[in-house]
Amino acid sequence: MLSYLGKRIALMIPTLIVISILVFIIIQLPPGDYLESYIAELESQGESVDPQKIAFLREEYGLDKPLWEQYITWAGGFLQGDLGYSFEYNLPVAEVIGDKMWLTILVSFFTILVTWLIAFPIGIYSATHPYSWSDYSLTLLGFLGLATPNFLLALVLLYLANRYFGTSIGGLMDPEFLDQPWSWAKLVSVLEHLWIPVLVIGTSGTAGMIRRLRANLMDELRKPYVVTGRAKGLGETRLLVKYPLRISLNFFIADIGSLLPSIISGAEVVAVVLSLPTTGPILLAALQSQDMYLAGSFLMFLAILTVIGVLVSDIALALLDPRIRLQGGAQR
Amino acid sequence: MKAFSLLQGLGLSLILLTTEAVAGVATEIPYLQPQVDARQLPPMQQRLPEVPAMPSFADRETGQYGGRLRMLMSKAKDIRQMVVFGYARLVGYDAHLQLRADILQGIEVEDNRVFTLQLRPGMRWSDGHPFTAEDFRFYWEDIASNATLSPFGPPKAMLAQGEAPRFEVLDRYRVRFSWPHPNPYFLPALAGPRPLFIYMPAHYMKQFHADFQDKAELDRLIEQAHKRNWRGLFVEMGRQYKLTNPDLPSLQPWVNTTRPPAERFLFRRNPYFHRVDPQGQQLPYIDEVEINLASTGLIPAKAGSGEVDLQARYLRMDNYTFLKEGEQNGHYRVFLWETGRGAQIALYPNLNAKDPRWRELMQDVRFRRALSLAVNRHEINQVVYFGLARKMANTVLPECPLYKESFATAWSDFDLQAANQLLDEMGLTKRDNRGIRLLPDGSPLELMVQTAGESTEETDVLSLVEDSWRQAGIKLYVKPTQREVLRNRVFSGDAVMSAWYGLPNGLPIANMSPEQLAPTHQDQYQWPQWGRYYETGEGESPTLMAVKELVNLNNAWGRTDSFAYQTEIWQRMLQIHADQVFSIGLVSGVLQPIVVHKSLRNVPEKAFYNWDPGAYFGVHNMPAFYFSQEADHASR
Repeated sequence: MLSYLGKRIALMIPTLIVISILVFIIIQLPPGDYLESYIAELESQGESVDPQKIAFLREEYGLDKPLWEQYITWAGGFLQGDLGYSFEYNLPVAEVIGDKMWLTILVSFFTILVTWLIAFPIGIYSATHPYSWSDYSLTLLGFLGLATPNFLLALVLLYLANRYFGTSIGGLMDPEFLDQPWSWAKLVSVLEHLWIPVLVIGTSGTAGMIRRLRANLMDELRKPYVVTGRAKGLGETRLLVKYPLRISLNFFIADIGSLLPSIISGAEVVAVVLSLPTTGPILLAALQSQDMYLAGSFLMFLAILTVIGVLVSDIALALLDPRIRLQGGAQR
Repeated sequence: MKAFSLLQGLGLSLILLTTEAVAGVATEIPYLQPQVDARQLPPMQQRLPEVPAMPSFADRETGQYGGRLRMLMSKAKDIRQMVVFGYARLVGYDAHLQLRADILQGIEVEDNRVFTLQLRPGMRWSDGHPFTAEDFRFYWEDIASNATLSPFGPPKAMLAQGEAPRFEVLDRYRVRFSWPHPNPYFLPALAGPRPLFIYMPAHYMKQFHADFQDKAELDRLIEQAHKRNWRGLFVEMGRQYKLTNPDLPSLQPWVNTTRPPAERFLFRRNPYFHRVDPQGQQLPYIDEVEINLASTGLIPAKAGSGEVDLQARYLRMDNYTFLKEGEQNGHYRVFLWETGRGAQIALYPNLNAKDPRWRELMQDVRFRRALSLAVNRHEINQVVYFGLARKMANTVLPECPLYKESFATAWSDFDLQAANQLLDEMGLTKRDNRGIRLLPDGSPLELMVQTAGESTEETDVLSLVEDSWRQAGIKLYVKPTQREVLRNRVFSGDAVMSAWYGLPNGLPIANMSPEQLAPTHQDQYQWPQWGRYYETGEGESPTLMAVKELVNLNNAWGRTDSFAYQTEIWQRMLQIHADQVFSIGLVSGVLQPIVVHKSLRNVPEKAFYNWDPGAYFGVHNMPAFYFSQEADHASR
C-alpha cells in the first residue's frame, strides 16, 4: 500500500507539469493578449489609449517577452507560492482569490449537502420500489431539475424572491453587510440569499446521482448474496445497508475526484447570472480578458485539486470495496 | 494674434466679493462636525481655498448636506468612473461645453503657445496638504521627464509638433508651460473625461520615487507591493485615474476609502474640495458614494427594484419599458438623456481590406453611397427604437454648433432606385438567379459584416439592413465575434465591413481636435492601416485624394490658433465625410435612460450623456446633486 502511494504521488508531479504547460498554452491560444482586450474594452466606452502607454505596459507586465520565458516566470513563481499578478485587478493573484474562497466553499458545501439529501433517499427508494408510480414520479422530478436551464431557474427564483420576500437581487448578502464583520443579521441575510444558488445548482446534480444510485443498487439487490441473506431471515434495512448499498456507492466515492475542484469552481454560469461573489465569475472574466496569470493559477489550482481528489478517491475505494486491488494488471 | 483668457477679469473679482460676503454665514457640514470638534479637521472656512470655485447654479437649487448615493458597476476597475463623474479638472467644460477654470483659479493663454496656470492659494489635497506649484514641478521634472518613469517621453498632448514645453515655476501658486508652436491639444486634454494629470501629490508620491527615497526603504516598499522595480511601485501607488490606492491624496469631490479587491467601494467626501454653492457652502452635498458590484446583466434588474440612487451605465434603451414599470415600487424616476455619439450604430467599409477586389469596391465612392442609400433608416427607427431615435448619417449631432442639415441628410434618404442606378453605373449589372449582383470575376456580391457581438440590438438593426440591401442586389451576412477578434480582423484587413459606434464625439466645438475625422488611429475601422501609418509611421499612407485632404486639414488644425480657421477646417472635413460616406450611419440620437432616486435633486431632467466632451455626469456638476429631506426617507 505504501509503495503504491509513493508511486502515485511521484506520478502526480509529471502530470501536473504537463497540465501546467497545457493550461498556459490554452490560455494563450486566442489571438492577442490581456492588453489588447483591455484596449478593446476601453474603446467600446469611448476611451482611447496612447500606443506608447501600451508599449510601456507591455514591458511593465513582461508581455513583450517570449512565451516560454513567461511560462518559466509563472511556473517558477507558482512553486514558491507566488501565484503571479492579475492585470485586471492590479493585484497579486492570491489577494484577488483570497476572500472569495470562503464564500465559494460555503455555497458549494451547502449545494453538495442538498444534492445528497435529495438524491440519496430518492435513489434508495427508487431502487427498492422500481417501476412503481412513485419511482416514476420521483425520477421525473429529478429529470425536471436536470432539464431546466440553470440560469433561467436562477432568474425566475431571483425575481420571485425579490417580489415576495424583498430579497435584494443577486449577490450573497444585502449590500449593507458587505464590508461589515460577521453578525447574526449578516448570517440571516446570507441564508436568505444562499437558498437560491444552492437549490438551482443542487437540482441539476440530483438527477444524475439518483439514476446512478438506483441502477447500481438494483444490480446489487438481485445478486445471490442478497437472496441468501433474505432467505436466512436478515431484516430488510440491514440487508440493504450492510452490503448492497455499500457496494453501490463505488461511483459515489469515485466522484470525490471531481468533487474537490467543484467546491472551488462549481457552477460558474449560475454564479455569473446571480452575481455571486464566488470564484467562478472571476475565473470566467479572467479567461475572457486573458488575464493569464489569474486564469492560469486558477486552472492549476483546480488541476491540483483534481489530482489530489482522484488520489483520495482511489484510497477510499480500496478501503471501501475489498474486491479492488492495488496491484492490478499483471494478474491475468 | 488673438489672446483669449479663461480668467474672466472683472467678472471674477465680483464673484470674489460675493463669495467672501456670504461665505461667513455658511455652517459646518454635519458629517464633518465631529472631526472639527475633535480638532482633527480645521473648520470649513480654513479648508476652502482663499477663492473657492463657484460653478453656475443657474438652473440648480441650493441643497442640503447628507446622504449616501448608491450606484452599481460591473467590475472593480470601473470605480475609475468616479474620477469621470467627479470631474474636478484644472480646466473643465461646463454644461454648455464652455471651458472654465475649475481647480485652477485662472489660466492665461497667449497665442495658444504660452499657458500660465494660476492655482488657488490655500487649496489643499484631500489629506490637508497644500496644493502648490511643487505638485506640477514634481510631475514635469520627476515623472514626465524621468527616463525610468516615462521611457517614451512626455504624453503626446504635451508636445507641440513634437516639441516639449518649457516649464517654469513662477511662484508658489503659478506655473507656466510654453511651446515654440501653438498647442491646441493641451487644454482639451486637461478637460478630458480621462484627463491628462499634469500634477501629482508630490508630498505623498516622493516616498516611492528613487530620487527622493533611500534605497533600503524603497526596496522594502517594492517587496511589500510585490513589484519588480520602483517604477512598478510608483505606477501602482500613483494611479490618479484608477483609484486603486485609497491612500493617494486626491482633488476629486469624493475619495475612495476601500482597498481593492472588494465587492463594494465606499467613497467619502473630500473635506478640502474646492467648489462652493452660491451661499458659500462647500460642495459636495452628498457625504458618501457607495458603489456595489453586480454582473452587467443584473444591473437593469437591480436598478428596477430600487437598489440604486443614480444609474446610467449598463442601462440601455431596451430596458426603458421595464425601468418605467418599476418607478413606483422602486421609488425612482427614469430620465431620458441625449447621447453624444455620431451614430448609435454605423457600418464601416474597410478601405484597407486585404482582398484587392473588395478593396477596390470599398474605395469606390459610388459603392459606399449606394450602400447608404439602400438603408431604410425610418424603418429601423420605428422597429427597434420606438421612433425615438433620428435617421441621419454618421456626423455631428444637431445640438452641435458645427452641424449643418446637409451633413445629416447626405446620401441617407432611403432611395433604392438611386442605389441600384449607382451600382449599375459601376458595372455590377449581372445578377445570379437569386437576384444578387455579381462581381466582375463572377462571384456574388455577398458582404460579411462583422460585429463585436455584444448586444442583440446590433443584430436586430442589421437584419433590417439585410432586407433592404437585398433589394439593391447585395447580400448581407452578419458575423458576430468577440471584440478583440473583431479589432484584429479589421486591422489585418480580413474584415471587409464592420459594425461599430459612430463618431466618438458627436458634440464637438471647433477648438476640439478634429482627429476623429481623419485617419489618425488604428482603431478607426474604415481605414485602420492609414490610421496606423499616422500613429506609428508604419504601414501604408493614404492613397485616396479625399483622405489625403483630411490628413492635411487635420494637420493644419494643429498649427493654427484661429478659432475661425478651425471652424472652417471642421466644416470642410465634415463636408468631405458627408460627401464620401466613409462610414454609413444607421441610426443616431438613441436616448440614454437614467435612473434617479425620487429624492435626489439637481439632476437635470433633460441633458446629454456623453463621454467626451461630457464626462457623463461630470459636466452636470455631480457634487451639486443632493438628497431632499422632505421626501420620504424611509423609502431609501
